[in-house]
Amino acid sequence: MLTTLGDLLRYNIEFRIGAILVGLVAVMAGLSLASPYSPMDTFLVAPDLPPTLTHPFGTTSRGQDVFWHLTFAIRNTLAFGIVVALLSRLLSLAIGLLSGYKGGWVDRLLMSINDTFIVIPLFPILVLFYFMLRDRMSWWVLAVIMALLGWAYDARLIRSVALSLKHREFTHTGIFSGMSTREILVREHLPYVMPIVFATTMNNMNWSIGLEVTLSVLGFTDISAPTIGGMIYWANQHTALVAGVWWWIAFPVILIVMLFVGLFLLAVSMNEHIDPRSRLRRMGAGGA
Amino acid sequence: MRFYVKYFAQRLFQFLLVVIIGINLTYVITHATPIDPVEQSIAAVTSFGNTSPEAIAMMRQSLRELYGLTGGPAEQYLNFWRRIATADFGPSLSVFPTPVSLLIARALPWTIGLLATATLLSWALGNLLGGLAGYYQDRRSLKFVAILAMGLHPVPYYIVALALLVMFGYVWPLLPISGGFGMNIEPGLTPTFVLSILKHSILPALSLMLVGLGGWFLGMRSVVANVVNEDYVVYAELAGVGRRRILRSYVMRNALLPQITGLALSLGAVFNGAIITEQVFGYPGVGALLISAVYAGDYGLVLGVTTISIIGVSTAVLIIDLVYPLLDPRVRTV
Amino acid sequence: MESRAPLDCDRAARTRQQAEVALCVEDLKAYYRTRHFGVEREVKAVDGVSFEVRCNEIYGLAGESSSGKSTLIKAVAAAMRPPLEIVGGRATFRFLPGARSLNQATASQLAAIRWRKLSYIMQGSMSVLNPVRRVRCSFADFASRHLGGNKAAFQVRVRQHLELLKLDADVLDAYPHELSGGMRQRVTIALATICRPDFVIADEPTTALDVIVQKDVLDMVRDIQGEMGSSLLLVTHDLGVHAYMAHRLAVMYGGRLVEEARTPELFSSPQHPYTKHLIASLPRIGVDAPRIGLAGSPPNLAAPPSGCRFHPRCPLAGDRCRREMPTMIAVAADHRVACFAVAGAGGTA
Repeated sequence: MLTTLGDLLRYNIEFRIGAILVGLVAVMAGLSLASPYSPMDTFLVAPDLPPTLTHPFGTTSRGQDVFWHLTFAIRNTLAFGIVVALLSRLLSLAIGLLSGYKGGWVDRLLMSINDTFIVIPLFPILVLFYFMLRDRMSWWVLAVIMALLGWAYDARLIRSVALSLKHREFTHTGIFSGMSTREILVREHLPYVMPIVFATTMNNMNWSIGLEVTLSVLGFTDISAPTIGGMIYWANQHTALVAGVWWWIAFPVILIVMLFVGLFLLAVSMNEHIDPRSRLRRMGAGGA
Repeated sequence: MRFYVKYFAQRLFQFLLVVIIGINLTYVITHATPIDPVEQSIAAVTSFGNTSPEAIAMMRQSLRELYGLTGGPAEQYLNFWRRIATADFGPSLSVFPTPVSLLIARALPWTIGLLATATLLSWALGNLLGGLAGYYQDRRSLKFVAILAMGLHPVPYYIVALALLVMFGYVWPLLPISGGFGMNIEPGLTPTFVLSILKHSILPALSLMLVGLGGWFLGMRSVVANVVNEDYVVYAELAGVGRRRILRSYVMRNALLPQITGLALSLGAVFNGAIITEQVFGYPGVGALLISAVYAGDYGLVLGVTTISIIGVSTAVLIIDLVYPLLDPRVRTV
Repeated sequence: MESRAPLDCDRAARTRQQAEVALCVEDLKAYYRTRHFGVEREVKAVDGVSFEVRCNEIYGLAGESSSGKSTLIKAVAAAMRPPLEIVGGRATFRFLPGARSLNQATASQLAAIRWRKLSYIMQGSMSVLNPVRRVRCSFADFASRHLGGNKAAFQVRVRQHLELLKLDADVLDAYPHELSGGMRQRVTIALATICRPDFVIADEPTTALDVIVQKDVLDMVRDIQGEMGSSLLLVTHDLGVHAYMAHRLAVMYGGRLVEEARTPELFSSPQHPYTKHLIASLPRIGVDAPRIGLAGSPPNLAAPPSGCRFHPRCPLAGDRCRREMPTMIAVAADHRVACFAVAGAGGTA
């Protein structure tokens, strides 16, 4: 897996750009540890100042330095995305591998349920959750809810890899030597599935962070802790655009778009590498 | 014909499964949470001033009935389903006493109009461009489109909507940025009215399309790049069949099939995007209705919109599923 | 497969016609060149192949899976896509004057040639027909621009051709997946021969079919070839098929030809050690002795052995075989071998 990543980094331009973008965002998140201001305080500095040297991204109408506040916001948003991705990987892997391997009625049943979760519009459901839970919907609760709803699309992808693995020789060897289903899935199939899991993790992060931003912008999440969507929410509350405080919205948007595009490029290049046909096409183009 | 019946039954079963699971999920969320919607609504209503305890008690009673929270759990569950079957969600609290179903019925055509046009247009255009890009691999102009697609597609709907709002609302105020039609125009089947509707729908539709187009473009390009290596395409090329004809009858015809399935699977996500887009542009569809219902604490309206969304999206998916065998002859025989 | 003499009709007439050369391949070299992740590889799939196919003859090309047969077809028919490139030699057809390869022909020349002068029968006809359109659309797409006439006239010609091949005209209204494998292959043969091309290339035409259907399909191919008087380049690993069909036969190994002769002679007196082994490994009715496998495996064409490609597995390998590459030399009339160990082919013993 590591050699694959190394190769991709060196030879695949989309992967490189994606890695750079995500790297920059990660650096920004890391800078939060060095912040001179606490994220929860307001009116620490003069409000509504445009970008200057002392305040490189300007200040908000609530008296916060945009740059340092942004470091916390992106850190929380990123952490949220990672948590949801990890939790939903467990579900996607379990259902995808099991469904692909077992086949038969287990497969049909699981895939019917799977397709149900793909079709159901999740945003109204999340809104409904917020409506019922209100202040009790902390970040952890939201993360768990989204993990429980967002495994479906990736489970299907993992299932298709599992289907192709089912008929390989080493699987048969495993069965004949008495390995249980769980052992086969975890010890034999899991390593093959890792590249596609990596790609789906990127996509899942985009999905969950996108939903988080959208929910926060509407004020449907816990807006006291700083997140990207939260920053935009407060900016809208203070009618920042009309008041001309464009930097309050622009910088969070730029940073989050960098994250989205970066993650997407990573996922796309990884997927292209996994699919042997597209990999051959790339090789052909290189040698012609 | 016999096999088509079997396929139809399978698709119908999936449709029912989605609806049942979705509505049960809705039921569980609304009934199994610690917050009491009745208390919430009362709190929202009484926050403006003093209300006598008797009035509150009466309100509580009527709200309980209205929300179907009277009786034991089994009775509540049955009531829930009965109300959905009759499309009776009670009166809206924020626009009392207008029935929720009427509000939804008024807003639904706007959403359907917006979604249908934006989705179909971006699907058709995206697939067309993607097909060309996948077939004619060396065209510079299409490579440029690919880069645009990769930059736009991952961005969530909200940010694209916001960007468009800023660009055309503040920087170059060319297009209207809120409402479904001009406020000073009489509704009716007049050309001015229709034109006003179109003008107001441009930005929301554009917002939905910019995100969607990129996805279809990239997907189709990759499907076509694989289809081009299929035996039947190679064989047709060996037979000297013209490039245009191969693109049309051999490549596109086959590559569009998975894209149709993809369209069905994407409808849930597109609907999510429509909700937030309507909110940003103040477009009078069910999405904006849902958000304002949450702000106002209008339980019946929130419930109503959620259930209608689930049923609506599932119906659209069913329709697409039923159309698919008309285009893929292999599905017609099992 | 019965091993009867494949041809007995009108030998004299055919011999007269066969004096003309339909396809001339001269020292053709086609490599796969890839450059990926900083690693450059060159697979020498076809490395200096020369042979001729005469008019009105069935020329067989035999060899195992990685011998380079399929690459050879792609190179000859100008059906190459990167990373496959022609790096040397050429293949010229009689119907394209000016002694130019197909790869150098202009687009309009190619459009006129393809299917009218040169057609193909592909392996695994499971998927050579467009799955979302009826069979008659494939006929229209492939042949109507050559056969001309209005739609009605074209339809008549298609039906006549199907009748000639003893195919039911109903097959035109079917979708490809509705037909059985054998039926699909027969339809493909009809499709490939409807314009009565001068040259037909058949790549493993019967590999995916069961034995009984195989015989029918082969008979069909042979009948139509005899009727049209065209040349047929038949490529398959199945020697039984070659015994049944080919007038002349060449054996390919490791990207090069090792032997070529008239079919009866190749089977009765093979000269090259590889050919001898292939023939010996064919099952024979009444012979019960166990077949002996050939030690080793086919050469890695990215890093082929020095000198003769076969020497690592050859029981007669000598010093010269390791150093020099043998060329095809005629040891009898119409019989060429590339081996230092064969008398009269440049070696001693």
